[in-house]
Amino acid sequence: MVSEMILETVEKLRNGDLDPEEYVEKTYEKINRIESRIKAFITIRDKEEVKREVKEKVKENGKLSGILIAVKDNISTKGIRTTCASKMLEDYIPPFDATVIEKLKREGAVILGKTNMDEFAMGSTTETSYFGPTRNPWDLERTPGGSSGGSGAALAAGIVDIALGSDTGGSIRAPAAFNAVFGLKPSYGTVSRYGLVAYANSLEQIGPMAKNAEDLSLLYSIISGDDPRDATTISTTPEMIEDVELKGVKMGVLKDIVDASDKAVVSVFNNALDKLSSEGVEIEETKLGYADYALPAYYIIAMAEASSNLARFDGVRYGYSKYGEGNWRETFAKNRGEGFGIEVKRRILLGSFILSAGYYEEFYIKALKVRRLIKDNLDNLLKKYDVIASPTMPILPPKIGEVIDDPIKMYAMDLNTVIANLAGLPALSQPAGFYNNLPVGLQLMGKYLSDYYLMALASKIEKVLKLYDLTANIS
Amino acid sequence: MKVEVNDQLISKLQNLALIELSADEKERIKKDIKNILEFFDKLNELDLSNVEPLFHPVSSGKLRKDEIQQPLSLDDALKNVKRKQDSYIIGPATYGE
Repeated sequence: MVSEMILETVEKLRNGDLDPEEYVEKTYEKINRIESRIKAFITIRDKEEVKREVKEKVKENGKLSGILIAVKDNISTKGIRTTCASKMLEDYIPPFDATVIEKLKREGAVILGKTNMDEFAMGSTTETSYFGPTRNPWDLERTPGGSSGGSGAALAAGIVDIALGSDTGGSIRAPAAFNAVFGLKPSYGTVSRYGLVAYANSLEQIGPMAKNAEDLSLLYSIISGDDPRDATTISTTPEMIEDVELKGVKMGVLKDIVDASDKAVVSVFNNALDKLSSEGVEIEETKLGYADYALPAYYIIAMAEASSNLARFDGVRYGYSKYGEGNWRETFAKNRGEGFGIEVKRRILLGSFILSAGYYEEFYIKALKVRRLIKDNLDNLLKKYDVIASPTMPILPPKIGEVIDDPIKMYAMDLNTVIANLAGLPALSQPAGFYNNLPVGLQLMGKYLSDYYLMALASKIEKVLKLYDLTANIS
Repeated sequence: MKVEVNDQLISKLQNLALIELSADEKERIKKDIKNILEFFDKLNELDLSNVEPLFHPVSSGKLRKDEIQQPLSLDDALKNVKRKQDSYIIGPATYGE
């Protein structure tokens, strides 16, 4: 079932080489065997219901007819609980589908379940989830990264071949790196955010996760596109590129980012670069500039937007609403005080501070100015280079509990990834290698709308490195 | 800019954000906010006087056609409401506080 491309599985299901019933049974057998140890999912759908749906869908002519997909739990799914890993939305059932879900259903995909994440996508390890942490299938003592950690772990464990995540500052790429899978943070505006529960709207995109570059590209081609229901989607479609030559590709390596990464990570990263260099990739060291300022700028913007976006959760129309009587201010404050976890409260409170009179200019506007400087630098670098490379994460997957109690330590994990979100550029993570059996990711960042180019490049690179369709062996 | 993170500031933020904190949370968050603001202070090293802020990575702002579309049914729209009466949502008191 795994280690073949989705297109082949679709074909097998269609021509009868793979029995839909057996396909579903095998998936649930795997879930029964390992899910209790990994906890990749918050909600898993009823097996018989899924089986019925798969059998129906294989008869249709979609690009994903009958294929099971795992969906991050901040993407609205009609009739399937969508919690954002929060007590606030523990029993929330969306009455509508996100645009990406409508698109997937149209192509025949079947939702297997909703994956665990950091609460409201605020975190880098999937430990801030109200439902408890997800564990990394490559080492159960370690985190799978976050915030789309459940989707990453479900792929690495071999439960599904494709998944959806969302990426505000690295939330697709961190779990892709830590789970040895592929993940794309698309060019801003190419994937609809309609139905994505908003955290920081100027930074985030829904994106595909998969076990090889071809599946990643297929999934992106299905979920992307202009959407009248999301005013931030763009009408230009990224140019479809299916094949690139590695020879002659100009790759800039961000030295200031590499220097801030752990030695173990850098050794695996350099090893991968050596192999690419022998294939004719022209690698050159360069600098991002303002690297020390990217994280504070990113967190100021993300928190400011979060404080505004999460104002909607008051327990009146949906969500945690133990308190309903009395004065509205007290009622809302109590529902929000009990419904949100500590990291979410921290970010909303700080966001409120950043946007308050007297501090707006001092923090928020300055952060937006740094955002401009970083975007200009990246745009300039991308005039010279076809692609910008760095390790996806500055560290190896941390142990559960290692970073969660120190916000600054946790925020520091996002240094390599936030820059793409600040600038709206596409960035993907693919496996670069392993250090003591722990996965290390290679991040490729490209020009705005070069998403397909990046994935075509990743497809060549995965073959040179022989790192694709990887599944962790969980004993 | 040096910001003093004290109980008064935390109370102010609780009011702005409409989030009630327990006594334990207040202490923990006070400490965290102090550290995080120091981390943010890094931006003051830069001279940004001639830089235009970038609010959004992509200039958009397109408008959709103003056409009537199929909305959610009343039942669907109110499905997640805990306190309701007929087709109304019952909210807390907003008058006479």
